[in-house]
Amino acid sequence: MSQGRSSNAFSVCPMRARDNPFAADRLERIRYHFTGTSLDELLARLEQMNYRAAITGLEGSGKTTLLEDLRQALERKGLRTKLLFVNDASPLTGPQCRRFLSQLVPQELVLLDGADAIHRSSWSLFRRHTVTHAAGLIITSHRPGLLPTVIQCSTTPDLLKQIVADLTAHGPAVSPALLDALHRRYKGDIRACLRELYDLCARQT
Amino acid sequence: MGKLSIELSGGKDAFAPGEQVEGRIEWGLDTNPEALELSLLWYTSGKGTRDIGVLQTNRIDGPGALGSDKFSFTLPVGPYSFSGKLISLIWALELTCTPGDETIRKEIIVSPTGREILLTSLARQGQDNEPGPFLKRILGVPHASA
Repeated sequence: MSQGRSSNAFSVCPMRARDNPFAADRLERIRYHFTGTSLDELLARLEQMNYRAAITGLEGSGKTTLLEDLRQALERKGLRTKLLFVNDASPLTGPQCRRFLSQLVPQELVLLDGADAIHRSSWSLFRRHTVTHAAGLIITSHRPGLLPTVIQCSTTPDLLKQIVADLTAHGPAVSPALLDALHRRYKGDIRACLRELYDLCARQT
Repeated sequence: MGKLSIELSGGKDAFAPGEQVEGRIEWGLDTNPEALELSLLWYTSGKGTRDIGVLQTNRIDGPGALGSDKFSFTLPVGPYSFSGKLISLIWALELTCTPGDETIRKEIIVSPTGREILLTSLARQGQDNEPGPFLKRILGVPHASA
């Protein structure tokens, strides 16, 4: 493991958090890896769908990352976007939902991360209101059915290996067998795999 | 592509809490920026969500494409620069140019010993080598779990 320091005190210590290749700030820099399609193709499909579509996929399959990448691409095309993250830690209450919708302008394209985490009544309101008061609604959801699916995110052990290789370009080598096992254990949840790898690195001396 | 730089007086990069951080910034940019901002800040790096604390920001409006300026900040008494297995707290000076995303960051150490505090060398052996509540209070560990 690369320790980043050569002092005697540090050489007997486990890896510092800041040197861990799987630290959260490094993971934030990972961008969505397309397989079988491209960002341009996705943008074209979204346009055909009048920007009302869902990105679906299991936990840790890259939905949020793709939504963030999509936001940048849409803004580069001159579209105005408004991004809302909803999850168990940041729930969307009824009043918050109404306030968000009341502040929308018709030129804005709403990007909602975690549509299946909001209450059914709020979702109904969201879906109806954005038809006339927004330029579109693109959501992420674990399950299909809330809006027509534009892309289903999924992962493979090879994708995990590629991401890990990028993160550890100047650091520790991680065995492919371990990555295969992690991908299997966490059912393709790349985020969970990378958290586990953080802990494994942190324990190294 | 322009150039931004931060130089610390005497090349010093480790400071005691409460000490003055002095130096000079220089910029050579392709266009005239609206402003330059130099911030004294700390941030965390590790397993959890990142925390950041901006202590002070000096703004230079209409700095021109080329120039230099002196700066001086007084450090607070904490938190100290430290690292454990789950979180590191890093102090830095950050110079940003607006508009644009040109940024340069220079890390510094804030510690009474002049070195980053390694929690593993302070914590008792065994357990998970992370600080207890008392040590966290002394270090000024932010709310993220250490």
